[in-house]
Amino acid sequence: MIRVLIVDDEAPAREKLERWVAEQPDMEVAGSAEDGLAAAQRIESLRPDVAFLDIQMAGLSGLEVAAQLEASSAPLIVFVTAFDEHAVKAFELNAVDYLLKPYDKERLLRTLKRVRERVGGGGPRTAAVATARAQTASGERLLVPDGERLQLIDSSSVEWLEADDNYVHVHTRARSYLLRRTLQDLLTQLGERYFVRIHKSAAVNLSAILSLTPLFKGDYEVELRNGRSVRLSRRYRDALFARMGR
Amino acid sequence: MITTALQDALRNPAISWWEPILWEGSSALAASGWLFLGMWARERYMQYLDRPLLWFGYHLRWLLAIIPTFIAAVYAARHGVYELVGRTYEHPPWLWVFVYESLKILLFAVLWLGILFGFDSYAQWRLQRGRLVELQKALSEAQLAHLKSQLRPHFFFNALNTISALMHVDVERADRLVTGLGDLLHISLKSGDQEMTPLREELRSLELYARIMQERFRNRVTIRWDVDPGILETPVPTLLLQPLLENAFKHGVERSTVPVTIDVTARRDGDLLDITVSNTGSRLAEDHAEGVGIRNCRERLSIIYGRAGSLQLEGEPDGVAARVRIPLTRAT
Repeated sequence: MIRVLIVDDEAPAREKLERWVAEQPDMEVAGSAEDGLAAAQRIESLRPDVAFLDIQMAGLSGLEVAAQLEASSAPLIVFVTAFDEHAVKAFELNAVDYLLKPYDKERLLRTLKRVRERVGGGGPRTAAVATARAQTASGERLLVPDGERLQLIDSSSVEWLEADDNYVHVHTRARSYLLRRTLQDLLTQLGERYFVRIHKSAAVNLSAILSLTPLFKGDYEVELRNGRSVRLSRRYRDALFARMGR
Repeated sequence: MITTALQDALRNPAISWWEPILWEGSSALAASGWLFLGMWARERYMQYLDRPLLWFGYHLRWLLAIIPTFIAAVYAARHGVYELVGRTYEHPPWLWVFVYESLKILLFAVLWLGILFGFDSYAQWRLQRGRLVELQKALSEAQLAHLKSQLRPHFFFNALNTISALMHVDVERADRLVTGLGDLLHISLKSGDQEMTPLREELRSLELYARIMQERFRNRVTIRWDVDPGILETPVPTLLLQPLLENAFKHGVERSTVPVTIDVTARRDGDLLDITVSNTGSRLAEDHAEGVGIRNCRERLSIIYGRAGSLQLEGEPDGVAARVRIPLTRAT
């Protein structure tokens, strides 16, 4: 069974999609959400195979939700929109699935056929997340778990990122959050504005660096403003120096 | 004039050199006084510039007062001066003096007024042309913005999607929505050639819009109407209020995950019509930039009502209010 999540802030639109998806013998509606934050939460908790994301929603848009997902483990995304010339152009360009409102059953069935063909592959989900990131300021805000809920924090408030297997500790001055993301994909999302990688398992906010002390073999010790020290491995040394203008 | 008279007098041994200066000088002095008064008074007659006969008439009727006072002043001065040097000022009989001086003044006045008329008409023509160009620019911009806001593709595609969803559960309700959407489209298209519409009609198009939006955002919005029935026939600019309600939905309902209340009130406030569209669920940012809808609205108000009409966005404790005030009776 292909498990489908349906996200739209308008009840009639949700109901229409739910009805037609439920009619498919090989698909089931795993759940639905009516705003962006709830959508991110359901994706996290239900792990659907496919998510229909309405673009225009309160709080977090469908594009912003997709931008915050781990690219490799994201569900296959179908964006749904009434009118969004810019985004639609990007979807076309990157072969990302989308559905234009209003649509009839025939058009939805065409989309579902494509979904069946693509749902196992990794390429389409990565393309959808990457396109969503390019369409939004995905580096400025970070979606983090806060107990049972999710919340958005400003990327600039993050001092450093610490990888821990398939998780990343996100350290802000006030507290730390544990994300089920890879450091690599998180850095791809955040871009280069604030963060620079200094180790296989660490990245720091440039503005949080206080001093650098050379160690042996070309490694350095990076002292952060909060008093913590993080190892800079020589593999990333030149990149860091270049970013710091040295 | 003085020099001509002086040259003439110098050849005539019977006349002293100062006499022509006195004759012509006294006339010139009095005439200049009237000239300045005339220039000062012409402001009052500016409005008649496009009707020259009236304009000249209004100016010339002052001659009835000017001629006697002019003659009295000039001849009193001449008599006075001759008296001082111990001579007598001799002039033709008073009736002849009166007719002669009147004709002179009239000729002079018509010449002077002709020049003034030319100057003022030209200045007014330039001013009006400037204003016309400005007005045309504002109008075409407003029309363009209006057209753009009319298209509102987002609204129409979403409404169509809602109807297409509703059709499967409640055909009659879907039918009502299609009809409502049709009515709204009719009103939008008609608004191009009908600048003003009774408040009753304007509120009806608001209701049509609200009904479609309420169907889309079921359970998320409550709309309350509070309209003074005594002002329903007041003419208001067509589709003036629509952008305000659209904003309430866009910023209040669509961006909020909690239920929102929208209040539409229309009441009389002295000789003003006071219409307010307020919504909960959104805040007015300190540095908020006004959208096309609000700007367009404000421009239309200023074109139609000048300073008598106003549109204000006000932050309220739990939301935002857009308040339109226009005169109950349209001036001009």
